[in-house]
Amino acid sequence: MRMLRLLRRQRALLNCAPISQDRLADRSMRAAVSRADDSDEFVNQQSFDRAVAALVRLIPIPPETAEWFSEKDLVVGSKWTWKKMARNPAVLAISIAVMVIAGVSVFQVLSRLNDFPGSATARKLLTVAASTRPVMLDPVSTEAGTLSDLFFMKHGLEHYDVPTEFADFRTIGCRVFEDEESRRIAQIWLAEKRMQLFLFPAERNAKTGAVLPFPGWRYIHQEGWVGAVSEHSGVCFMAALRGPEKDLEPYLSKATGK
Amino acid sequence: MRRVFSGTSRVPDRKQNLPQLYRFCFLMLGDSSKAQEVFHTTLREAANRAAQGELPKERFWLFRDALWRCLEADKADLQPEALKLDEHDVAPQGASQIEQLEPTQLAVWISGAPDPQRTALALFYLDEFDYNEILDLAELKLSELSRFLAQGRRQLQAWLDAKHPEQGTV
Repeated sequence: MRMLRLLRRQRALLNCAPISQDRLADRSMRAAVSRADDSDEFVNQQSFDRAVAALVRLIPIPPETAEWFSEKDLVVGSKWTWKKMARNPAVLAISIAVMVIAGVSVFQVLSRLNDFPGSATARKLLTVAASTRPVMLDPVSTEAGTLSDLFFMKHGLEHYDVPTEFADFRTIGCRVFEDEESRRIAQIWLAEKRMQLFLFPAERNAKTGAVLPFPGWRYIHQEGWVGAVSEHSGVCFMAALRGPEKDLEPYLSKATGK
Repeated sequence: MRRVFSGTSRVPDRKQNLPQLYRFCFLMLGDSSKAQEVFHTTLREAANRAAQGELPKERFWLFRDALWRCLEADKADLQPEALKLDEHDVAPQGASQIEQLEPTQLAVWISGAPDPQRTALALFYLDEFDYNEILDLAELKLSELSRFLAQGRRQLQAWLDAKHPEQGTV
């Protein structure tokens, strides 16, 4: 019974045997064809089918129908291109959002690259500098370097020393105030380019209380103001003025020259 | 609108071979103007769907669409009477008898077959699909396809013998 069914299936497959050899993809079909290859009946069938298929290929295509055929790919609409992809509103919106996020991230990374211990306080003090008026300070006309003694004797501020680069400039006024974290800040106003100097406690390690030092001068920028900051003996010094970084550079390079 | 589709597709899994699609319509309908009408309607509809990005992902969708349109186009026409046609075994000279035919004669003969035999013969002799693909497109079982093809060959041989009696087997 099973044999009979098998033979019937093979017969059915042979009746559907492909005209072209390249359509012999199916294993059962290949097996059926290879078994029947020598039979006259199958040979007749194959040559008959091939002749019919050849005749079908001779069916002429009317010119107006041939207009639909191009030499290129299947369907333009389904062809995937970068150009088409870029014009997709969803892709466009996502791209813009990604670019904005990337821009903000890069900006933040770049601004953090210049960070140093105490930079957050220094930035706040640049804002203070921008809003300070001369009347808010005690008028003092002397050399900036001499104010270290005043800060020490009058306010008990140790190591609030003006670096030698700025020690010779004449002052207009000075004051000592506390910020929102009760740190005592010394502010000096110079006649030179209306520059302001700040002295404030350096940042410390929260666990050990040790000063977090950093070498040399570091620049920071805030709302059109530029500051050059250095640390010495646990006290940070900042020279600030309104303008670009290059306005401050000569004072610092002069110090390096010395 | 035109030149949206290819002559012979390079996408092997789709096989949207347009000249063959036209020939398929012609074999199904046996009339060039009807075949062109179905072919153009199918492609115009496909182009609209392509423009809206709604092209089906299934294989042979153009052929399936054209097949449906061919069957629909015939519904309004007079249907041939179901006749018991003569049948002869396929003869060794069958191939040479076929060579003497015009393509249109063959198309008229196939288009005159009752459905679904007509669909089976048209799809098979396009030599575009393997038998599994034909079973899928024509929605037939293997035994049915086998029967329609075997019967079709025998009937065609009988018709050829009647047309060229000097070469026939009768």
